[in-house]
This record gives sequence, structure tokens and C-alpha cells, in this order.
Amino acid sequence: MAGSFKRIGGDRVRVRLANDEVAVLRGLPDQLRTVLRESEDEPVNQRLFPPAYLDVADIEHDTEYHRLMHDDLVTEKLANLDLVTGSLARGTASMRRWTVELTNEEATAWLGVLNDLRLALGVRLDITEDFDGDVDDTDPRAPALRLLSYLGWLEEQLLDALQS
Amino acid sequence: MSTTAPTRERTEQQDDVAEPDIPWVVIVWNDPVNLMSYVVFVLQKLFGYDREKATRLMLDVHHKGKAVVSSGPREKAEFDVYRLHGHGLWATMQKDR
Repeated sequence: MAGSFKRIGGDRVRVRLANDEVAVLRGLPDQLRTVLRESEDEPVNQRLFPPAYLDVADIEHDTEYHRLMHDDLVTEKLANLDLVTGSLARGTASMRRWTVELTNEEATAWLGVLNDLRLALGVRLDITEDFDGDVDDTDPRAPALRLLSYLGWLEEQLLDALQS
Repeated sequence: MSTTAPTRERTEQQDDVAEPDIPWVVIVWNDPVNLMSYVVFVLQKLFGYDREKATRLMLDVHHKGKAVVSSGPREKAEFDVYRLHGHGLWATMQKDR
């Protein structure tokens, strides 16, 4: 199968996906946006915004860290989501293939969003052991596990393209 | 109330005096979802480590459960933690003692 991401020159990355892949991806950013606007106690947000200080003696530093940094971290993630949503809207579809060219900034945003989506899915699926991507069809979580596996496969390809 | 508040104050004063001398370490913890290749990529990007060093740190995280990825004064360590959190790595910081 042809790669989903390919570096073009020094400053662009071309994305080529099947139309049904794009349809799946388009549904995901809004789900993450919704979670990001929920409370910091929400389990996905606890994973995306973990404590900086573990030692109980540093609890006040940790409170201060979250007070100062949390909004900035959310803003960065929302900006990444906007770049991904924008490029998903901009791409062009032919009979079977969908294509778009990303700037480096957009490609970096895709990497961040793919990773955030996987972390969020990992929390939802209660993944506690290393997940090798193999999915047991009888597992009731199989569809979501397949999505996690697919997003990981995309992320690996994007990492390869960014480093080529 | 009256017994805990003064204690906390004294602790803060001690911290203020001692902090410049005690370096902080930034620790990345193992995570079942983050890709190994992604962790290497982020360590190279944020800290300028070569591929070999970033890979060695990632393998420590993977096999030993955690690795110290940077150290320094508290403000620097906190900035590093912030950037690691921005990239989805599970990072914390503590005094190096």
C-alpha cells in the first residue's frame, strides 16, 4: 500500500488517504474539543494534563503550575485541532483517493492531534499494558481498538515522513 | 489549623533558601499508548538530543518504567515538563536528592 504521508521538498507533506479514512478522521477533532472543554478531573484530561510535581511536599508548586499552564496547554491543543480540521476541509477527493498538502506547521499539528486522540482513546479503553495493535474480534472494544491501531499506524507513517 | 499553618510557612522558607542549590530532575514515565518512535522524536525535538541518546532514554522509559530526561533549576525543569506535557508525554519533576 502506498504511504499515507510523503515529504515533498523541505516544507510540505502530502497526505493521501482513502475517502473512507478521511470520513473517519473528520469525526474525531470535535470529540477531542469537547473533552478539552470539560473539567480537569475528566479522566482523559487527567492524562493529557498530568501533575508536574509528584512529591506531596511540592503540592503548592503543582497547584501553581496548573493555574499558570493549563490554559496554555489547552490553547495549543485547540490550535492544533483547528489546523487539522482546516486541512481536512481543504483536501480534494477523486474517485477513491483524498489528497491534501500540509505545511510543516500543519504536519506538526497532525502529529500532535493523532497522538492526543490516541491518548484519549487509551484512557477510554483503559489500556494499561503495551498495545501491539492486534485486535481480538470477540472483544466488545474491538471497533475502538481498531481505531487506536489505525491512528497509530498513521502516526508512525507521519513520523517517518517528518524525519525523511 | 493553628498547628499546621506555621509548619507550612517554615517549610516554604526553607525551600526558598535551599532551592537554588538543589537541582531538579525531569522524569518521563512509561506509557502504554505513546509510540516508541514518537517518544524518540519528541526527546530529539525538545532537547536537541541525537537519535542515539533519545533512543537510549526511550528504552529506559520502556524497560525500567521511567528515565531522567533533563535537569536544572526549578524554572527550567518546569518549562521542560510543560513542553513534554504539550507533547503528550507523561512527565513529572522532583528535587534530585
